[in-house]
Amino acid sequence: MIEIKNVSKSYVKGKKSVDSLNLDIKDGEIFGFLGPNGAGKTTTIRMITGILDIDEGDILIDGESIKTNSLQAKKNFGFVPDSPDMFLKLKGIEYLNFMADIYEVPKEKRVEKIEELTKKFEIYDELNSQIQSYSHGMRQKIVICAALLSEPKNWILDEPMTGLDPKSSFDLKEMMREHAKSGKTVFFSTHVLEVAEKLCDRVGIINKGKLVFVGTFDEMKEKFKEEGTLEELFLEITEK
Amino acid sequence: MNKIINLTKVFLKTSFSNMNTQMGMPSKSNKIVSKILYVVLFLYLAAIVALFSGGMVESLKIINQQEIFIGLILLVVTAFCVIQTIFSSINVFYFTKDNEYILPLPLKPYEIILARTNVLIITEYIVTVLIGFIPLLVYGVLTSVSMSYYLLMFVALVLVPILPILLVSIIVMIIMSFAKITKNKNKFQLIATILVLSIVIALSLSTTKLQDDITNEQLAHMLVEANGMVDLLKGYFPTLDYAISSLTSDSIVVALIELLKVLVFTISGVIVYVFIAQKIYFKGLVGNLFSSSSKKKNIKINTNKYNNSKLYKSYIYKEFKCLIRNPVFFMQCLLPAILIPLLMIVMVILQMKNSITPQMSEQLNSFNGNTFIVACVILGVIQFFSMFIYIAITAISRDGKNAIFMKYIPVSLYKQYIYKCIPNIVMGSITSIISIVVANIILKLDMLMIVLVFIAAIIMNVAESIILIIIDLKRPKLEWDSEYAVVKQNFNLIFPMIISMIAIFIIILAGVFLTNINVYIGIIILSLIFAIILYFANMYLYKNQNRLASRIM
Repeated sequence: MIEIKNVSKSYVKGKKSVDSLNLDIKDGEIFGFLGPNGAGKTTTIRMITGILDIDEGDILIDGESIKTNSLQAKKNFGFVPDSPDMFLKLKGIEYLNFMADIYEVPKEKRVEKIEELTKKFEIYDELNSQIQSYSHGMRQKIVICAALLSEPKNWILDEPMTGLDPKSSFDLKEMMREHAKSGKTVFFSTHVLEVAEKLCDRVGIINKGKLVFVGTFDEMKEKFKEEGTLEELFLEITEK
Repeated sequence: MNKIINLTKVFLKTSFSNMNTQMGMPSKSNKIVSKILYVVLFLYLAAIVALFSGGMVESLKIINQQEIFIGLILLVVTAFCVIQTIFSSINVFYFTKDNEYILPLPLKPYEIILARTNVLIITEYIVTVLIGFIPLLVYGVLTSVSMSYYLLMFVALVLVPILPILLVSIIVMIIMSFAKITKNKNKFQLIATILVLSIVIALSLSTTKLQDDITNEQLAHMLVEANGMVDLLKGYFPTLDYAISSLTSDSIVVALIELLKVLVFTISGVIVYVFIAQKIYFKGLVGNLFSSSSKKKNIKINTNKYNNSKLYKSYIYKEFKCLIRNPVFFMQCLLPAILIPLLMIVMVILQMKNSITPQMSEQLNSFNGNTFIVACVILGVIQFFSMFIYIAITAISRDGKNAIFMKYIPVSLYKQYIYKCIPNIVMGSITSIISIVVANIILKLDMLMIVLVFIAAIIMNVAESIILIIIDLKRPKLEWDSEYAVVKQNFNLIFPMIISMIAIFIIILAGVFLTNINVYIGIIILSLIFAIILYFANMYLYKNQNRLASRIM
């Protein structure tokens, strides 16, 4: 469960990039975070994960504050950042082992998870190569594998579908559904509205740092009394 | 022409602008402070070069051979351009990330080539001011030449670096377009840089005689000998010869004609260069872009690859792997720690073989090395070598945008900073060991002194590593498009030198004020001073671990 409580963040004095954001992502839920470029999505995700300091408010991950008990809070989520270009000089297997050491995954468990995840994403055969030789999609896959290795209760994914081939994208969506079904949380940002519509239990739309809508798609249609496409609704909300 | 100028500006901005934005969003006062720092640093280096040049010119005046100085300086400029271009041209032409964005643009091949070459040339000009302009200015003042000399000198220094840069760039392009090895960027860079380093080491070994305490006449004699190298290089760079003739000529007409020849040769060189480069540059470039996505099919993963290690071990291994596997980081951060002290050993051994007479040997044997002054000298030498280790000062910057990783994993930032310091501490210890071993060979120290000096060196090393990582955290260079920018176009690299200078100053002060103290007590006092510095640096790092990471985002 992720609780965002009245969170604000400014990069420049007097201009809030995220303004008094309140959001609860419940257990067993897939939550899609939408918004135009520069709306505050990545800033919010970076505050949830502890990359950025929070100016006002607090964020709790399974009850642990990222502000005051950050190490415990960080143990409660797996994070996929927006850029998968990490540790390019390490071999795939070395990177996964390193991540498993950080999250203290026991040897038997890591053998099982690494094989399961990398075979699912079809990168098992590439694990002995340096990550710099991977394509963008393969890098995205190995970062996802690393984030899921410790079986975290909360998944936080920043644009996770970028660069994935259709099969991997489908597999990831299936995994997200299974994860949520088992009572755990998925929070992800995306620009692909169709993905959000088909996958998410609820969505939040952020625009100019303010949360302008949160709810299901049916509620969105209800609220805006429109029978248009999702794209039209999104434009209607964000351009208001 | 406009496109070339604009493209050059863009390339230059992407490589240099980051130096100004290293302080995040710098305030006005920060900008002023950094500008003052640049000026002070430049004046400091300029003063050293001017003093050294003055000494050389005065020495040569004794034997009335002062004109040799001009040839030597132009030789130094040329040699520097050759060596520097080998390192930088590979990065500027092939391994910058913007290649992928530049290639699809509607630009003519020669426009891209010339803009990239301009970047190389302009970068060299910055150094030429220091190693060419100032010495020749000193020469002009000391030999009271006419005003026209200064104008000719300026034009010559603008033209002379061009031909060597073009020649090296063409060689690099040829190698890149033909050699299969270049499919592996890392290996190619490693081999190229090792080759250059070997040449530099060979050259420095052949000139070890310069280390002696020599008289002005001896210095002048050696400079005349070195002038032979100018003759050797003239064959490869004809502009060098004409530029020397122009600057040494008494007749202004002859001087202008000679300078005109330099200009004609340079322009011809540029035309030939553009012609050849258009044929070969893009072949190598496209090959290189594609090779990065080549796949290496695998080999079954051995189950012992799934090792689980303690976090500290895993993290430190990761740091070492990233350092060793990246040729630029390996060459600039790791290698100097071993190479420079090793070079010192070889030089000391050669020196001892060549110049130690039986009487000197006797004196040395009877010399009591176990004094506090000797300990201070050894620690000073260790400090001097440690200023070339760039591991801690780039520990955060080397991660680039990926540095945010540190902030979302469940490991305390303080622990991560310490893990990132370990490679610096390890390499610093290797430097210390090599230096102490050499000192022991020469001075035959006693065991307790060796141990105490080593402990003092380690304390200094740890303190320095922590201070340097604090500096990198405060001014990280996270936006870079090639690794080269982290270890070259990074203002922070001045800090290892500054910190080492301060440490040497403390050691000298201790040496002066505690001259007659018992050697062991003296080293212990010095160790305590550095331990106190270490304590405060460490406390600062620990207490401000989160605040220090605020620039990583």
